[in-house]
Amino acid sequence: MKQTLMGNDAIAWGLVHANVDMVSGYPGTPSSEILGTIQKIKQQLDLPIYAEWATNEKVGFEVAYAGAIAGKRTAATMKQVGLNVASDALMSASYIGNLGGMLLIAADDPGFHSSQTEQDSRVFAKFARIPVLDPATPQDAYDMTRYGVELSERFQVPVMLRPVMRVDHAREIIEMDAETHFVPNEGKFRRDIARWAGVPRAGRLRQGHEVLERIETIKAYNWDHHLKEKFEALKGGKLLILASGTGYAFTLETLADLGLEADVVKIEMPYPLPTEEIKPFFDRYEKILVIEEPYPLIEEDLAHPKLYGKKTGTMHAIDEMKKEHILVALQKLGIYTGENIYEVPRLDLGFDVPDRPPALCPGCPHRDIYYAIMKVFKKNKSIYPSDIGCYTLALSQGAIDSILCMGASVAMASGFSIADPSKTVVATIGDGTFFHSGIPPLLNAVYQNHRFILIILDNSTIAMTGRQGTPERFHQSIDIAKIVEGMGIKCYEHTYSHEMQENIDFMKYIKSEFEKPEHQGPLVVRVRQFCILDNERRDDWIPNLFAEVDPEKCVACDSCTTVYKCPPMAYNADGKIEIDPFLCAGCGGCLDVVCPTDAFQLDTIKSKEVGV
Amino acid sequence: MKYQIVIAGFGGQGVVFLVKVLALCAGNRDIPFLGTENHGMSQRGGAVSCDIKVGEFTNPVIDNGQADLIIGLDPNETLRNLHLLKKDAYVVSNSDRLFPELPFRVTLVDGNAKALAGEFPIQGLNAYMLGVALASVENFPFSVEEVETALRQINAKVADQNIAIVHQAMGEVEGRK
Repeated sequence: MKQTLMGNDAIAWGLVHANVDMVSGYPGTPSSEILGTIQKIKQQLDLPIYAEWATNEKVGFEVAYAGAIAGKRTAATMKQVGLNVASDALMSASYIGNLGGMLLIAADDPGFHSSQTEQDSRVFAKFARIPVLDPATPQDAYDMTRYGVELSERFQVPVMLRPVMRVDHAREIIEMDAETHFVPNEGKFRRDIARWAGVPRAGRLRQGHEVLERIETIKAYNWDHHLKEKFEALKGGKLLILASGTGYAFTLETLADLGLEADVVKIEMPYPLPTEEIKPFFDRYEKILVIEEPYPLIEEDLAHPKLYGKKTGTMHAIDEMKKEHILVALQKLGIYTGENIYEVPRLDLGFDVPDRPPALCPGCPHRDIYYAIMKVFKKNKSIYPSDIGCYTLALSQGAIDSILCMGASVAMASGFSIADPSKTVVATIGDGTFFHSGIPPLLNAVYQNHRFILIILDNSTIAMTGRQGTPERFHQSIDIAKIVEGMGIKCYEHTYSHEMQENIDFMKYIKSEFEKPEHQGPLVVRVRQFCILDNERRDDWIPNLFAEVDPEKCVACDSCTTVYKCPPMAYNADGKIEIDPFLCAGCGGCLDVVCPTDAFQLDTIKSKEVGV
Repeated sequence: MKYQIVIAGFGGQGVVFLVKVLALCAGNRDIPFLGTENHGMSQRGGAVSCDIKVGEFTNPVIDNGQADLIIGLDPNETLRNLHLLKKDAYVVSNSDRLFPELPFRVTLVDGNAKALAGEFPIQGLNAYMLGVALASVENFPFSVEEVETALRQINAKVADQNIAIVHQAMGEVEGRK
């Protein structure tokens, strides 16, 4: 059956059609839609699949891995930096192996579209000594998902599927099974202490030898089933291209665009690579070019004097794949002598198109809370560590000083408070990130009596990745305040108000509490908020107070466009601020305090229309 | 056939909806389709552009100087993506101002003003601009009937309204000719 699918939907269908019984993981762009789609398919077809988010990637991996030990077919989904969190479990899982198939889906993000690093999960697969499949298109993603589950079961080791953003978020008409005949696998834990609980040194040394044997077997399998036929068909010539994943997809199009012909071998499983079988075929060519992203994994494994790629400076070393990079590489190798068809003459518009930097949504309460924080805890006397989530976008308000990785705000607040006690450290973290990895560092801060303020921005959703649920949302017994109180400290509570002065007054109160001589250790605040895109909750929060500007009062002082930063606010042709009526969400946050000349006023007509 | 379209706007304007419509059009005619989305971390209000490649392609990204058409839901987002267009490509954009002289075939419509005047709801801006493209781009790869079918498949509930907006736009463009 032909179906137009996004890569992540194709992976979800692949898992269902591979009879995968359990899927866990943690949201992260570009991987997030995989698990959400399985939840939808499960509901539509009433399938007996466990498809639930975990509190973080390590937990998600472990849930899925135990399922595979007990004979179920399972999968864990995450983004590449999420695999860093799950890596502790992965490294040992490779030694121990599994009975049911387990697919680890780690989505990479070459080009840093929404990630803090451009790391290559294929390299992580090599580090863990597990096989990795690299899909080039959504069709590949569907096929390789099914294949990867089978492969994992055959070799009794987790298999990684490594799609990149241009596969996850690509749309393609793909061929897939028309019908779903889901056959659940029996879960039956069989006690095998020597295997499931192997300990150093003897147990793990034995398993270490097994890992090495297994990877050699898979290497031979890779040659026999994926590569042998392709290499033996090669006739030889000037150039051989070895391409992995999107590298293959971009290569074919570049060659077609340039009217060139070259032998291209698609590497479906870039690790473990049967290098000794491949290298003799290099004799038939003058040059070999490797096209892969983001790291030179195949290039490093093959290490050969005729080999060109990232390490030789032939291909780009960082950032996303483009056809132009391949064209330039072909020029450097003397294969292509024509013009750069991807180079376009610069159009002179006579003006610069204004930037549209990432910003918090119109009506987002994060903006107001950060505004209040900065109003009370002045920039020159404070340090603002923050974390990963929508609120990271408060960077544009100047309200964030550091971002490292999930959950780091809390321990970094500890570190800054020790290193520079002259400043007040005000850290911010979302509820999702607090559950993910913010709790252990807060325990440490209480334990070691570190003096800082932690503000938990609790909108009861993992907003940035598409509003997945949080533990607290579905289980009211899980209460952030009780978790904090369980550490023996008070949890200060505030509810976001659309009246800015109330948020500011609360922050003033927190400042006075923190400065009391008897206050010790971290001071924790939970601010109850909402997400403007959260259809279940937004109507309970949004007052439908739409704003407009009194042009007589606007003195073009820039304070709203630099400190408050709400997207509907922009200068018009008369040099006055105007509010885009299509963008204003009616939160009313700017009606008080924000404008020093009080130019924002209620748009009574629109506010009435929407029903105040 | 090989046809490459860029759709540009900002988060919340329904850029991705148009991609889904055109993907369905291609699927219904059984011609290959590849597409991808470019957006930063913003949920609403951030720049969004989508690449659509209809025909025999292997990767979803449109490189510089390759696109046949851009449909822009916002003037700045249209201007920001002009480098993707080939010479003599079509530009169909929502804009409240004239563009400088460009080496493309440009059709501009002030969709925001029309929505403000109550001619269609602002949520229909994407359908309106699709209608403008259907009426003003000579070799647009799909017919209005194919677009109507896709609009019904994608969301039957709002299909009538969207189809009406598409026709409204087409009528207005024809009227200007």
